[in-house]
Amino acid sequence: MQFFDPTILQSGQYHDWLVQGLVLSLQLTAISFVFALPFGALVALMRTSTAAPLRAAGAAIVEGIRNVPLLAHLLFWYFAFPELLPEAAREFLYAHNPEAVCAVIALTLYSGVHMAEDIRSGIRAVPATQLEAARSLGLGRIQAVRLVLLPQALRASVPPLLSQTVNLWKDTSVATVIGAAEMMYQAARVETASFRSVEAFTFATLAYLSVSLLISLAAHLYQRRYPVRPA
Amino acid sequence: MFSRRHFVLGAIALSAQLAAAGAQADQLADIKKKGEIVFGVLGTDEPNSFIEPKTRQLVGYEIDLATAVAKKIGVKPVFKQMAVAARIPELQQGHVDILAATLTHNKEREAQVDFALTHFVTGSKVMVRSASGITAIAQLAGKKVVTVRGGTQETNIRKAVPNAEVVTFENTQQAFQALRQGKGIAYVNDESSLLADYGKLGPAAKGFTILPTSIGNESIAMGLRKGEKNLKAVVDETLRELEASGQAEQLFNKWYGPGTRANIAKRAFKISTDKI
Repeated sequence: MQFFDPTILQSGQYHDWLVQGLVLSLQLTAISFVFALPFGALVALMRTSTAAPLRAAGAAIVEGIRNVPLLAHLLFWYFAFPELLPEAAREFLYAHNPEAVCAVIALTLYSGVHMAEDIRSGIRAVPATQLEAARSLGLGRIQAVRLVLLPQALRASVPPLLSQTVNLWKDTSVATVIGAAEMMYQAARVETASFRSVEAFTFATLAYLSVSLLISLAAHLYQRRYPVRPA
Repeated sequence: MFSRRHFVLGAIALSAQLAAAGAQADQLADIKKKGEIVFGVLGTDEPNSFIEPKTRQLVGYEIDLATAVAKKIGVKPVFKQMAVAARIPELQQGHVDILAATLTHNKEREAQVDFALTHFVTGSKVMVRSASGITAIAQLAGKKVVTVRGGTQETNIRKAVPNAEVVTFENTQQAFQALRQGKGIAYVNDESSLLADYGKLGPAAKGFTILPTSIGNESIAMGLRKGEKNLKAVVDETLRELEASGQAEQLFNKWYGPGTRANIAKRAFKISTDKI
């Protein structure tokens, strides 16, 4: 048997499975990102709020989610959470690809709280004097936050947020445990059918590596184009 | 020009060569020298190998067979639990000496591993939710079927029903759980394990039906690294002696026979061949 047969990666059934896996991995990343970012921003605002109960709730969300491993999240959201739903909702979920939906829920929450911490750091990086200066120029409280604080905070948060996106992309691989047919799942499927494990996992490894490097490159370019301005 | 990719592939190829060279010494002699033999087992597959809830001990049909092999060689048996999909790589990489992990003997695998005498014969079967109204395998077309990843069950169901939507899990218990929760309408497993799973349902069993048709007839055997003739000879001899003395029959009845969860009335095979 040939040690490495690149042809199975270039065309044919195994190629199709691996590409399907890559597409689902990208979709899981994109959809989870779209939900995780606003969720993270909301939690970050709660954590920096002037109201103590909001701050406490934000802290509880962050600590409750990020102190549990992603694997446990996935198994919980797939095997336990749907059983708590009313029957109609549960049947609706089960009829609509529960593997992918539960993976998105778990990845969104897990990734979201980490993003919340990045955004919170961004907010804290803006010196308090900026807000005071804005107020003294006659801006209202909300206006000062919206026009002076947040633009600077978000610019400072973008590099860590992109690195968080790399983590999200890599974390999609854990969704394989709940039967979501992403890239690791398809690589294992190729291995089962063909025993070509080296080829299948080489494909997966190179795909993870390439996409991660692309996101890192985006972070680098952004930082060069829009450096964090000293206040 | 050499790219970085060539370099990585070269490194992988080199380490595979080194691993192959290391395995050339006689494995049986190594085992005797070490004083222990390592078996790769599933540990999640009642009654072949599973953790007995009361004693927290690893027990089962394959555990008993493996213990007999270790006794014959005169060394201590060590059991290492592994995932279904990890079995063959773990054996090839030398992490275990022998697989006793509900390993189906099939033609494709003969290129990868050697097989001892067949110690169990079964077929994959399908359990469906009774409410689904499914009575024949063909009706599973387009339906969601759950099973374990990396075993022959997935291959069998895809062969039997090419357009079924198959979703696989890390172990059979997760797949079975997914069926019970209604995430799929059918569950595929080896016949014997499926009967054991059915037995676990208790009063809920009336919600589920096992379809009569078997998909694929499977010979289960221990797996060895290729070319280890001396080790294979000892394993086969142990199994032949168990069969000749009637102990193999007793072990079958202890784990699969009447009154057990699997509740198979009669053993329909003898341990005699390593051909399929």
